Order: sequence, then C-alpha cells, then structure tokens
Amino acid sequence: MHRLKQLGLLVSLVFLAACGTTRAEIAPTFEEAAEEAKQSTVNFYMWGGDDGINRYIDEYVAPRLKETYDLDLNRVPMDTAEFVRQLSLDKRANREEGTIDLMWINGDNFRNAAEAELLQGDLLDKIPNAALLNEEAQATDAGTPTNGLEVAWGNVQFVLHYDADKVNNPPTTFDELHRWTEENPGRFTYPEVTDFTGNAFVRHLLYAEYADTVRDGEIPDAFWEELSTWSPNLWKQGTTYPKSLAQLDQLYASGEVWMTMGFNERRAEAERNAGVFPDGTRALTLEHSIASTHFLAVPFNAKNPNGAIVVINELLSPEAQLAKQDATYWGDGTSLDLTKLDATDRDAFLKLDEGVTYPDPQRLAERSIPDYGPAVIDLIREEWDRVAK
Amino acid sequence: MSRSSLWLSLVVLALPFTGVTFLIYETVGFNWSELNDEAWRASLAVTLYVTLTSTLLSLMIGTWLARTIYMKRSSWLASLLKWPMFVPHVAAAYLFYLLFSGGFPVYGLFEANERNHLVVILTYVWKEVPFVFLMVVGTYGQLNHGYLDMAKTLQLKPLEQFRVAEWPFLVKPLLDSFWVLVAFISFAYEVPALLGVTFPELLGVLAYERLTTGLFLNAFESYAVALIWTLFIFTGVVASYALTAKQRRRIERGMRR
Repeated sequence: MHRLKQLGLLVSLVFLAACGTTRAEIAPTFEEAAEEAKQSTVNFYMWGGDDGINRYIDEYVAPRLKETYDLDLNRVPMDTAEFVRQLSLDKRANREEGTIDLMWINGDNFRNAAEAELLQGDLLDKIPNAALLNEEAQATDAGTPTNGLEVAWGNVQFVLHYDADKVNNPPTTFDELHRWTEENPGRFTYPEVTDFTGNAFVRHLLYAEYADTVRDGEIPDAFWEELSTWSPNLWKQGTTYPKSLAQLDQLYASGEVWMTMGFNERRAEAERNAGVFPDGTRALTLEHSIASTHFLAVPFNAKNPNGAIVVINELLSPEAQLAKQDATYWGDGTSLDLTKLDATDRDAFLKLDEGVTYPDPQRLAERSIPDYGPAVIDLIREEWDRVAK
Repeated sequence: MSRSSLWLSLVVLALPFTGVTFLIYETVGFNWSELNDEAWRASLAVTLYVTLTSTLLSLMIGTWLARTIYMKRSSWLASLLKWPMFVPHVAAAYLFYLLFSGGFPVYGLFEANERNHLVVILTYVWKEVPFVFLMVVGTYGQLNHGYLDMAKTLQLKPLEQFRVAEWPFLVKPLLDSFWVLVAFISFAYEVPALLGVTFPELLGVLAYERLTTGLFLNAFESYAVALIWTLFIFTGVVASYALTAKQRRRIERGMRR
C-alpha cells in the first residue's frame, strides 16, 4: 500500500509538472539562440519513408551540427499528417511544452497547421541564411501564403520516369500518355489520391484539360468521366491502386509497371545507381509539371525553439543545400536563389545538373506551373472514389 | 484477492470506459448523416463479409483440428499447429502478399489486392485457426469421455453424437473466440491495408485514412464509426451471452463431479 501511495504521488507530480510549464521563447538574435542551444537536443519530426533522405540527415547534417554548434539532432520518422494531428491535440489540451522542436511540412498539412495556429511566426528574421532564399519559392505553399510560419527547405518539380528498355516511343503529352496506356494495358498506374503523389498526378491531368479555370472552383463531371476511361488499361484494370508512392516504386522496380512518378526530378538517380530501378530509367517531361516547395516549421510548443532555429540555419547553408541536391543522398532541388550566392557556390550547384535520369533542366523549368490550392486537393480526395469504384 | 491485483483490475477496467467516454466526448454535435456516404456504406458491407467469413471458417477449421487431434492423440501435430500464432499479423500479411501478388499456381483466383478479398480472408484464417484450436483443445482435454461412449452405445449417428456429447461443451469457448475474432478482424489495419483494394476499404483502413489525411473535420467520422462499432460489438456480446446463459450454466453444473 505504501508503494502505491508513492506511485500515486509520483503520477500526480508528473501531471502537475506537465500543467505548470510555460512556453519556451526564441532568443532575439541568432548568436544568442546558438549559445542557448549548446549541448541541447533538437527533435526533428519528418516523414521517414526515403532511405536517401534519412541518410542525409543522419550521416551528413547531424555530425556537422554536433561539430559546429555542439548540438544533437534527433530524427523522428513519422507521417506528417500524424504529427500535425498530435500537435493539434497538444493545442487543445493546452500543452505548452511539446515533444516536437522542428518539423518538415508542406501542402495541406501546412494549411491545416496554420489554420489551427500550431506554428511559430516571424521565423525569417531570426535565421541569417534565410536571406539567401528564393523569394518566389518562399512566398506560397501550394497556394497558401507562408507568412513567415515556415521556411523553404527544398524546391522540386513533378516528373515521370520510365524504363527506356521497355518503352520505345515515350509519350510527350498527358493525352499521349493516355493513348500509351491503351496500347500497353496494365503497365501504368498512379497512387491513390490520399497519397501526396497520386493526388498530384490527378492535378496534372486536371491542368491538362482545364488549366487555370478550375482553381478553387468545382471540378466538372466530365473530368471524372474522362479519368474513368483510363481505368480499364491501368494495372489490375484499375480495380485497385498502389496505396503509396513507395508501393508504385516497388511495382516499377520489379518491372510490373513501366513508369513511376514523383516530385523531385532527381529522385531516380540514386535508385538507379543502387540497382533498384532498372538501368534504362529515364525522365519523362510532359507538357507541364507542378513545382512544389517543401518547408521547415517550428511548433508553437517546441521545447527547444533556439535549437530549431540553429538547425534551420544550417540546413539553409549553401554547403548543406549542395549536399542535399547531390544524388549521393537525396537529389533534392535547392530552395536558395542561385543569383544570391557567390560564384564558387553557384558553379557547384550548376555542375550538379548532370545525371542519366535527370530531365533537361531548361525544358523542365519552362514547363513549370504553380500548384492548385488545398481546395482542389480536397475536392480530388472527396470525388475520386467514383473513379476507384 | 490481493489489494494490488484489485487496483490493477480497476485500471484495466477503467481503460475501455475512458476510451468510450473520449469517443462520446469527441462525437458530441457530430452530424451523423455524414456517415451516410458511399465509401462508409461499401466499407460496412465488405467488412461484414470479410469478418464473418474469416471468423466462421477459422472456428470450423480450428474446432475440427482440435477434435481430430484429440481423437488421434497426436501431440506433435498439436504443437506444430501453434506456430502461425507466433507470426505477427503484419508479417503474415507480407508473406501472403509475396505469395499471391504474382506467379503463384492458383494466381487469378487467389490474388492479392482483388475485390473479393480472398487473400485477406485466407491470411486471417491461417492466423486465427491456431487461436481457435488452442481455445477449443482445452475443452476437449477436459471432456468427459462417458458422454461420447453413451452416445455411441445408443447408436447415434456421428453427427448426432457430436451434437449431444460435444457441442454443448464447445458453446462457451466458441462464443469467446467468435467475439475476440470479430472485434479484432473487423477493425484491424495491417492485413487489409496491404492485401485489400482502394475501393471498398475495410472499416479499419478507411477510418485510419479519414483520421490522418485531409481536413481534420473527417477525423470525427472515424471517431463516430469507432463509437458505433464498439457499441455494436458490446451489444452483440451481451446479447449472445445472455441468450446462451441458461444452457451454459446447466452444462457447467453438469460437469461438476
């Protein structure tokens, strides 16, 4: 019984401690923040489904932070929607000291987090390297203004990849891709629209038909009827779709389908070099390609916001951005404005633009289109079921 | 009963009540007609189909195996049968995914990711048969052989023998197993997520999807479904035990020596 009382006391103490904490503040200058952050740990919550990205953080970024700032980086792999959800529960429970210090976010997850006021503002003034950012990429996130609640980390475009050993005359437009699927039944599919990439593929088809006329409006029925005509010639006759991009990549790697897709024009290089993707893997740029920026944000109840600021600044340094864009780890496009860099750094970035699976950068840039807003993403999610049936 | 075990039982008991209270709290003011969309309706139908088919098949096969092994007294077979229990559900799902996602001899009829969900059912049956077997084999171990001998002496047909000398004792373990399996399979995630299809999705998969993607508004749909399903299973359990109470009591008394 005595033990039990002790336990009860302990539990209530923990509970009281949790209620009594106050929010940690960000130091006024970066130098002070770096001083505060010494010997602390930053919990970085990020989607963990890509080996290259994980290695970039663990093998490249974390040791540099330790050396330069005496700071430990703890990568926590989790689906973005899930930790945004966890934060919103924190908010409702008035939990002022959370577990997340830094998070990787974009698109409708950011829109949700911003609407629910889960993020710290005015980040840009506190981060010296933010001055190097590409202002256009930084301004909006899939149609939602960023307002200093997040900082651009990388900037990529949507491309398809195909196996040139199997596909002799690759299509050049989305219409031709449709015809190609008819001639090669079962060799193409796209992820479900609850998946980030699957939804983006459908947005490309939407753009091919209606361009800017459907922004924030309604999607005409005719579009869904047209999309349904793709189904009989897709993988498994369109009776089911890969649940995620990872599953589509697996189908592509095993040769069951002949094309895959995704944001980030350099994503296939490392996979091909590792022998996962077929040797004949090449990029396919169709008539347009959505540009997408992904961001870093600090939650309202971060325990170590100063550490988070230091990590963001490091992730935006030209050296870290260059290593990120290199195919060794990730191959992710930079969020920096190359014209703001000095000549040596700029040349280093330009030199990276050579890879067997890379699209022609000039051509890709010309075909870049801004993304639809979250309203269209939601509409596709709600209405696509009729195609899946 | 010691004090600590009493406290522990109270904590264990409090958890489901906390869960249900949370669900009720979250669904206050929820517009229930939102659940009347096609995805949820189709999901309910396919969930009932998969759950009942896998559960009933597991019960039948598990009982039959327990009976056979009891009659033949083969203990090595009994220990061999248990091993699928030690394979995690997600590993079983992967195993069946690898077997049936292409190239297997009966590919076409049994295929991962097809709308009849045959491979989902197969995975569950493979995983749950040993569980039913364990639940039932104990009963057979304690079975009074006298009843069976009497039924034989009275020259009843084999099916009649089973009905009078074995079935009454099996009601309790089978009922227990039935509800454990129904509660588990109907709202599980891993197996149908890997082996199921995009439409219709099983309740667990659809609920998880609505909980984690898109607008937070959809999360309330998942809470509402979880609440309804909990109450549904709870009602089912209470009703089925109440209906069989009399029969079960009579048998339990009869077994006392």
